[in-house]
Amino acid sequence: MADLNKPLVEIRDVTFGYGREVVLDHVSLEIGARDFLAVIGPNGGGKTTLLKAILGLVNPWSGQVVYNLPSGKDPRGRLGYVPQFSTFDRDFPLRISDMVLMGRLGRHNLLRPYSREDRAAAERTINRLGLAGVARAHASEVSGGQLQRALIARALVGDPEILFLDEPTASIDAESRDTLRGLLADLNRAIPIVVVTHDITSLAPMVRRIACINRKLFYHGDPELSLEVMEEVYGCPVELVTHGVPHRVLHDHHHHH
Amino acid sequence: MPSFLDALSYEFLRNAVLAGVLASVLCGIIGTFVVVKKLAFISDGISHAAFGGMGLCFFFGIDPLLGAIPVALACALALGAVDRETIRSYDALIGVLWAVGMAVGVVFVYKTPGYAPNLMTYLFGNILLVTRRDLLAILVLAVSVLATLAIFFKGIVAVAFDEVFARVRGLPVRLLMALLLGMIALSVVILIQVVGIILVVALLTIPSVISLMLWKDLRGVLLGSVGIGVGITLGGLLLSFQYDLPSGPAIILLGAVLLIGVYGGKKIVAARPLLER
Repeated sequence: MADLNKPLVEIRDVTFGYGREVVLDHVSLEIGARDFLAVIGPNGGGKTTLLKAILGLVNPWSGQVVYNLPSGKDPRGRLGYVPQFSTFDRDFPLRISDMVLMGRLGRHNLLRPYSREDRAAAERTINRLGLAGVARAHASEVSGGQLQRALIARALVGDPEILFLDEPTASIDAESRDTLRGLLADLNRAIPIVVVTHDITSLAPMVRRIACINRKLFYHGDPELSLEVMEEVYGCPVELVTHGVPHRVLHDHHHHH
Repeated sequence: MPSFLDALSYEFLRNAVLAGVLASVLCGIIGTFVVVKKLAFISDGISHAAFGGMGLCFFFGIDPLLGAIPVALACALALGAVDRETIRSYDALIGVLWAVGMAVGVVFVYKTPGYAPNLMTYLFGNILLVTRRDLLAILVLAVSVLATLAIFFKGIVAVAFDEVFARVRGLPVRLLMALLLGMIALSVVILIQVVGIILVVALLTIPSVISLMLWKDLRGVLLGSVGIGVGITLGGLLLSFQYDLPSGPAIILLGAVLLIGVYGGKKIVAARPLLER
């Protein structure tokens, strides 16, 4: 049985890069049981790379990622992942229902057909996310918001213990963003959520902690941040790098609360 | 002039028809993965590289098929294993493999003493030369490729659709990719017998490209491209017989005409609501 007081994921002093270029420089970060963590920072600052390191898609040069999931199981297949639209082929001949069902696939059933439970779980998740009307449709025929929810459904159908979303608000309209906010708030009652985003404002109300990444981890904290402060914080990496005083900008606002 | 059906009493034509049908089933299914995973250039590279193995076998007087299989498989596995970040230009690597294979093949064929085999047959294929033994080899290869695909189908679809997600789910992505490339390599070897090295990529892609325009779910696309593949292969053979055309090009050209026709048809259907306004 896993220790419930320990963080679910501990990123311990992780350094990683591509070629000779260091992208993550001694980054340490924790993900707690009820977290809603927003990883923010400039483009190319290492946000997505940090996500890849947590998901086990890249091996750190040094440091480690330690998992302590509630189930006590190996993290493989226990982490929910919602990618950006650009990482897969939207024209691939799959119906939305097939795409969601794919979230049940793992090493254990690789060579077996999907079970009755797999199909039931997919149907439940499709209904829960309001996708029943488009379940038979093709990915290229649905709206951005619907495709986003289908990707979330695919991540949720395998009962993940943490949900990771990469730029979830990037390709959807304002109305879909409202739906997404409600959905994530609802999901966050059960599992921690980690969002990599450059658009902190649309998710601001529910974010509990932010991590500001620009090669190094510049800020990692849990203030009750207002929208304005969030915007300030989002600008932080650039300012901090130019002025070389990592904490002042944040602390000024921080202490008003 | 005897009709095509009468001519089917000749063994060589029956072999040709059977080889064509088997190859079409295979390329309809494997070709769909080639198209959706954008592996057409790799497939073409494997096809040309395989000629190196065929030339070597010629020189030593062995069945060229025995040389084509290991070379095609080795190329497929090497292309799957190479680290794309280190090699920098993956495209160029495929091009090099392609040219080296052809060069090796041509050198050995040139140096083969005595009767020099007709290069044109290997470049453009001659399905009418398929022997009973070739047919058996094609059957064994096709069945093993399709059986492997059936066993790993879910995983291969998942990797073809979204490799990163498959890795997050803990699937053995490298193994599945290697299997897919290996299946493509064996399919290429079979197709060389039917349409020749240069035209392999066309037979691998044309039926699936047409099918992808007509169907939206994977099952529909797979069945559709098998049907279209069988149709153009048999139709091409018939044209080749009636008008004395080389069989490989006749098959490919019929496919190209169908592709243009379906594309045009889709465009007209899409434009109709605008015209009627």
